Amino acid sequence: MPSSTSSFERPIPDRPWGRLLTITLILVTCATIAWEVRARAVGYAPTLNDTPDLWAQQRGKVRPDSLVIVGDSRPLFDLDLDGLESGLGRRPIQLALPGSCAFPVLADLAADPTYRGTVICSIVPLMFFAPGGPLVENSEKALKRYHRWTLAQRSGHALGVLLEEHIAFLKQEDLTLNQLLQQLPIPNRPYAGVGPPLPPYFQTMDRERRTRMTEACAQPGPLQDRVKHGWLPLFTPPPPPSYVPKEAFLESMGKAVEKRFRDTVDAVKKIEGRGGRVVFVRFPVSGKLKEHEDRMTPRAGPWTRLLADTGAPGIYFEDFPELASYELPEWSHLSGPQSVEFTARLVPHLKQALAR
Amino acid sequence: MLFNSLTFVVFFALVMGGFWTLRSWSARKNLLLVASYVFYGAWNPPFVLLLIVSSAMDFYLGLKMGAAERPTQRRMWLGVSLVVNLGMLGFFKYGNFLLENFQALAAMGGLQYQPARLDIVLPVGISFYTFQSLTYTLDVYRGHLKPTRSLRDFLFFVAFFPQLVAGPIVRAADFLPQCDAPAAPRRGRMQWGLFLMTLGLFQKIVLADALLASASESIFNYGGPLRMLDAWTGVLAFSAQIFFDFAGYSTCAIGAALCLGFSLVDNFRFPYAAIGFSDFWRRWHISLSTLLRDYLYFPLGGNRQGVYRSCVNVMIVMFIGGLWHGAAWTFAVWGLLHGVYLVIERVVSGPLNQAKWARSFLAQVGLVGCTYVAVCFTWVFFRASDFPTAARIIRAMVGAFPTGDAILPTREILQVLVVTAGLLIAHWRLRQGTLEEAVSRWPAGLLVGTWTFMLGAIILTQGNGNAFIYFQF
Repeated sequence: MPSSTSSFERPIPDRPWGRLLTITLILVTCATIAWEVRARAVGYAPTLNDTPDLWAQQRGKVRPDSLVIVGDSRPLFDLDLDGLESGLGRRPIQLALPGSCAFPVLADLAADPTYRGTVICSIVPLMFFAPGGPLVENSEKALKRYHRWTLAQRSGHALGVLLEEHIAFLKQEDLTLNQLLQQLPIPNRPYAGVGPPLPPYFQTMDRERRTRMTEACAQPGPLQDRVKHGWLPLFTPPPPPSYVPKEAFLESMGKAVEKRFRDTVDAVKKIEGRGGRVVFVRFPVSGKLKEHEDRMTPRAGPWTRLLADTGAPGIYFEDFPELASYELPEWSHLSGPQSVEFTARLVPHLKQALAR
Repeated sequence: MLFNSLTFVVFFALVMGGFWTLRSWSARKNLLLVASYVFYGAWNPPFVLLLIVSSAMDFYLGLKMGAAERPTQRRMWLGVSLVVNLGMLGFFKYGNFLLENFQALAAMGGLQYQPARLDIVLPVGISFYTFQSLTYTLDVYRGHLKPTRSLRDFLFFVAFFPQLVAGPIVRAADFLPQCDAPAAPRRGRMQWGLFLMTLGLFQKIVLADALLASASESIFNYGGPLRMLDAWTGVLAFSAQIFFDFAGYSTCAIGAALCLGFSLVDNFRFPYAAIGFSDFWRRWHISLSTLLRDYLYFPLGGNRQGVYRSCVNVMIVMFIGGLWHGAAWTFAVWGLLHGVYLVIERVVSGPLNQAKWARSFLAQVGLVGCTYVAVCFTWVFFRASDFPTAARIIRAMVGAFPTGDAILPTREILQVLVVTAGLLIAHWRLRQGTLEEAVSRWPAGLLVGTWTFMLGAIILTQGNGNAFIYFQF
């Protein structure tokens, strides 16, 4: 009986491998440096990508009595964490997610039997009441990462953060191969149901997910215009799918929205039942985007009903001149300096709402 | 831990540094064994115990079989190995599937049975390491291999991190001899290993994830009728994606092992240039197809018992091969379709091989094209989450919805077509040889250019840490 077959050995092409590898590494290093220089020259700076890992890391910091911010991109840009901390006496944890529906995150906090803290929940009705699709999936993806965060993913994130803090071209939303290909001027075929493009890079983010609008976007110019005019298509719900009758689709949407109201009431009651608080906030919006949102979801609709059903306090920016007086650079978010001032103005209203 | 992650880059650099710094061969193997468990435990640490227990058990069963004097004893120890390994695989991978099917069968018989769904987490790569470990006990039972006396070497053989979670499935007879002594030094081994790792990562990160995954996901997740162009683009995208994803993993694994002085077998040999389906299976997932051939098809009788019986054997093997990939009937249909193709090929291949025209260039290209298109149809069942989705996509592929929905941007269609064309041309040109032979002939400038391009594209793509498709199996 053979003890084994003879030792198997793979062939190796006969080439001057040492020299080839050295030249390759020199060329790759040069190309990478050139790409970094180019990225910085056109306005990019080192900043963190808003990945599910970064979100999961913050979610992991939530303690039973934490002050937590949930919602869409508006509280990310509009709230200054230092301002909230000095005003409310606790360092908030930033869990708002751009382009997301906040409900899954709110429900996740409600499902945590130990959580009895304070939640500041941003409401953009078109997003919060989205029955499914990418807005809900973005939140679910982040939650999934938090609940199943492996050791390998944690260490990969820690290493990624170190690189992103120093390298400008590491921009997952903008400078990846895929994003660059999307910028090719290739016209789409007629009737192609292709979604609107996402906004380009216009913010910086740190390890606490503190977000600031870049100077280039805060000032009038091509970037600001591009971001501004990207919102209307993004805030327009997609047409009903062709393969579902319109009536059936509208009925199912109606049912989903009703369910979202009921589930939100449940989530708020659970948190309040443990001694926690939830306060809903409608953050500033302006220009054509405000007209669009007001037309699609008038205040008398979802906002009023949400407060009535949940019994939770709410702050609607238009009710207070000091909160409504901002000229938003790109209609949807405040600039960095504006956010500091806005937070200081919002704190008394938050205190009042939470004291109720 | 994923090959396409920063964690792996650091892990591999540390392991390589440690491995080549240590003098003693035994210490090197100890390091690799510990590193392999760290690699695996980075997903879910408790499953490392499962891996250790199952492989230690096969080691001792191998010894028992080697020491057994009577065939009945040997059979008994093999039986224990089969029951425990397949039982473990069955529980973790097929537990819920079996329950659901039992429930459906009971309902057909008028019995309303509502079992609680088992909350089972599937250990990554369990299908791979279970089969790998089983081949050892089977080889020892059949007398093809002497049982190893070293528990450490055996644990290392099962757990060796480059191939642990997604293959290639390594046979003990190929790997254990490499544990006896360090490989003799060879010029270029490590650099060639690094080149293969670059190629594998390029296939995964750039081609599979960045250029193909989006079109494939859009089409297979869409709930409505699609235009023919969209359906075909989605299926072509998946055909290329699964190749680049899986072959990328295998290439990385082979490269990483080479950097540490170990040789793993080829897992792919330009499969989309196959002429016919038996040729396809000689080129696709070779370590699994040869394993199924040697440990299932031949023991069933192979083609020694007449045409009819050999066709039945093929269908059994492909059915099991399909289910090996996943606990769903769609995988079984994927396997059975390949079985049907193989049976049909047996019938027509005789006259076809005799025909002179079949050897002409155009006929060969045509036969490659026919094989590829037929394989694409099977991928629909492999990728679709259920039969209605598969049926909808197949109907769209044959033009059943001329006014269906167009959901893919033109850029994405072009991207898929360019990558697919490049893939088919590359496979066609390389089909008669090996990558090593081709690289031996390349001018140095082309080699440096290709390597630089691949590394540059990997850095530019940045990656998103997507898991390899075959991890779920």
